[in-house]
Amino acid sequence: MSEPMIAARRVFKRYQRGGETLTVLDGLDLEMEEGRFYALMGPSGSGKTTLLNLIGGLDQADEGELVVAGANLADLGSADLARWRAANVGFVFQGFNLIPVLTALENVELPLTLTPLSKKERRDHARFALKLVGLEGREDHRPQQLSGGQEQRVAIARAIASDPKVLLADEPTGDLDRKSASDVLDLLARLNEEFKKTILMVTHDPFAAARASLVVHLDKGQLGRIERNAAPAAPAARS
Amino acid sequence: MVSFKLVRRYLGKHKVRSILTIGSLVVALFLLCMLRSLVVALDAGVRGAKRDRLVVQSAVSLFVDLPQSYQSKIAAVEGIETICKWQWFGGRHPTEEAFFAQFAVDMSELPKLYPEIAIVEGSFADVAAERRGCVVGRTLAKTFNWQLGQTVPLLGTIFPGPPGDGWQFTIKAIYEPTSSAVDGNTLFFHWDYFEETVESTMGMTPGTGTYFLRTAPDADQVAIAGAVEQLFDNGPQRVTCSTEAEFQAQFVSMVGNVPFFVAAIGGGVLIAIVLACINTMLMAFREQLHDAGILKAVGFTDGSVAGLMLAESLLLCGLGGFGGIALAKLSEPGLRAALGSMFPGYEVTGETLLLASALTLAVGLVAGVVPALRARALRVVEALRSVE
Ligand SMILES: Nc1ncnc2c1ncn2[C@@H]1O[C@H](COP(=O)(O)OP(=O)(O)OP(=O)(O)O)[C@@H](O)[C@H]1O
Ligand SMILES: [Mg+2]
Repeated sequence: MSEPMIAARRVFKRYQRGGETLTVLDGLDLEMEEGRFYALMGPSGSGKTTLLNLIGGLDQADEGELVVAGANLADLGSADLARWRAANVGFVFQGFNLIPVLTALENVELPLTLTPLSKKERRDHARFALKLVGLEGREDHRPQQLSGGQEQRVAIARAIASDPKVLLADEPTGDLDRKSASDVLDLLARLNEEFKKTILMVTHDPFAAARASLVVHLDKGQLGRIERNAAPAAPAARS
Repeated sequence: MVSFKLVRRYLGKHKVRSILTIGSLVVALFLLCMLRSLVVALDAGVRGAKRDRLVVQSAVSLFVDLPQSYQSKIAAVEGIETICKWQWFGGRHPTEEAFFAQFAVDMSELPKLYPEIAIVEGSFADVAAERRGCVVGRTLAKTFNWQLGQTVPLLGTIFPGPPGDGWQFTIKAIYEPTSSAVDGNTLFFHWDYFEETVESTMGMTPGTGTYFLRTAPDADQVAIAGAVEQLFDNGPQRVTCSTEAEFQAQFVSMVGNVPFFVAAIGGGVLIAIVLACINTMLMAFREQLHDAGILKAVGFTDGSVAGLMLAESLLLCGLGGFGGIALAKLSEPGLRAALGSMFPGYEVTGETLLLASALTLAVGLVAGVVPALRARALRVVEALRSVE
């Protein structure tokens, strides 16, 4: 078997709160294979966001080893970590996190400014990504001119613009209505199937989790059982 | 470049605040440029001073006159080519409000002492031929609308005029200074007319406030000044012999140390504007905190996010600062005309422009550095958790 795309070994993460130590991740081990779509579930406060942030290099573990997309994150300084992030991970957040003063197209272009692409190539890539998420014609809209579902699709376009291997999504459908949520899940599934992205999606919603190929549970700082979805719930007819 | 666009959009997002900050920067930099130009104008006499001119005055005070008997003794010192009596007259025009300077001088020596006095109408010969003849600066003539040949009456505030008509001067020449060593707002008249009149009205021979000297081109100024001072070491009145630049400089400081006050006002303006800019940038930082977290999550380095903050500060301050500098330069001719004889030679010099530009950049850096450092240290997780 080839190297896992995401590997965590005996990872600890603790927070100090008013003299007390809260151990959120308690020697967590984890392996995730390339090209799979994982759903991460667990009770509120169990550390799902914390784990996602560690994997994406937004935060640092207190102990243990994290190897993601071939890089041992502990070895990277802050600038290298940022560059590694730009090249290897795309984030999708519950609250969309678009830059309000930039248009949809400019938001998608943002990570591309960190690549050696020419201005024209950046434009083209960004347009392509927006088209992929079904937002052709919305290029010049500002975030506040878009619906929640559209905003989240812009965010997904931004996450995939620089073609990273890994997508990390933290409750991407949490703020969306059923229809928009379904669109976003379709999109993630398609990115996994067609573009072979490794996806790790935190969710509370069993319907959302059912769209992933694997469901992992986080509890008491450790990874619990892993369920394999025999046949990920097929998205609404796609030709 | 998306990043520059971002900076512009942030400034555009809070239009009113940006415009207010830029507006105060415009005013501040305009004021600073103007204040400095005023000081420069004041200093013009010092800057234009020639190395070959010396001034002899009483060691006690400028207001103590020197005896006329000193003239021949000083003239005998080797290396001195020209010596000219120079007495402050302090007259007032009977009807005109504005004040201007008048000096009683050895008229035959004046052109030798000051080749910078270029006659544009009439001639020194015409002045010499007329006992009450005088030569006036062109700006002065323009201010009062005086013509060549016209008689100018003056009330003597120190030296009472002759009974009857009082002091009367006839304009026989008009000059234009060719350097800032000479003020274009002065009236020079004959020593003889002055002396004879004072003798008859006050019953005494007037002394002279100063002697102006011109030395030979290759003469040793320090040695000459030393020799002149030594002449009167044992009285009756000790003298100080200084270079023209030193002599002029004491007037600048006599006006109540104007450069100091200007510096104090300028410093105050500067501090106020720096505080205003820091405030604006800290507000901007707070509003952009969340976005800064997004940028970092997307892969921008700590340094580039800090750079963005600094760029925003520099753009904001640059727009205002250079606006003010441009305004100062554009208003230069108008202000020069308005300030007239008070600050002859008002000019926003290249040095002033350069200094003001450097100041603008410094304000931008100072205002941007704290937000930039904070943006750099910002942790993504915390920034993203913050509500916009
Ligand atoms: N910076 C912090 N300082 C202190 N405690 C923190 C910090 N960040 C997270 N925690 C705590 O760590 C625990 C895990 O938080 P985390 O956000 O990872 O949970 P989660 O599983 O994502 O929860 P939810 O489903 O509600 O999003 C929580 O108890 C939280 O209060
Ligand atoms: Mg969470």
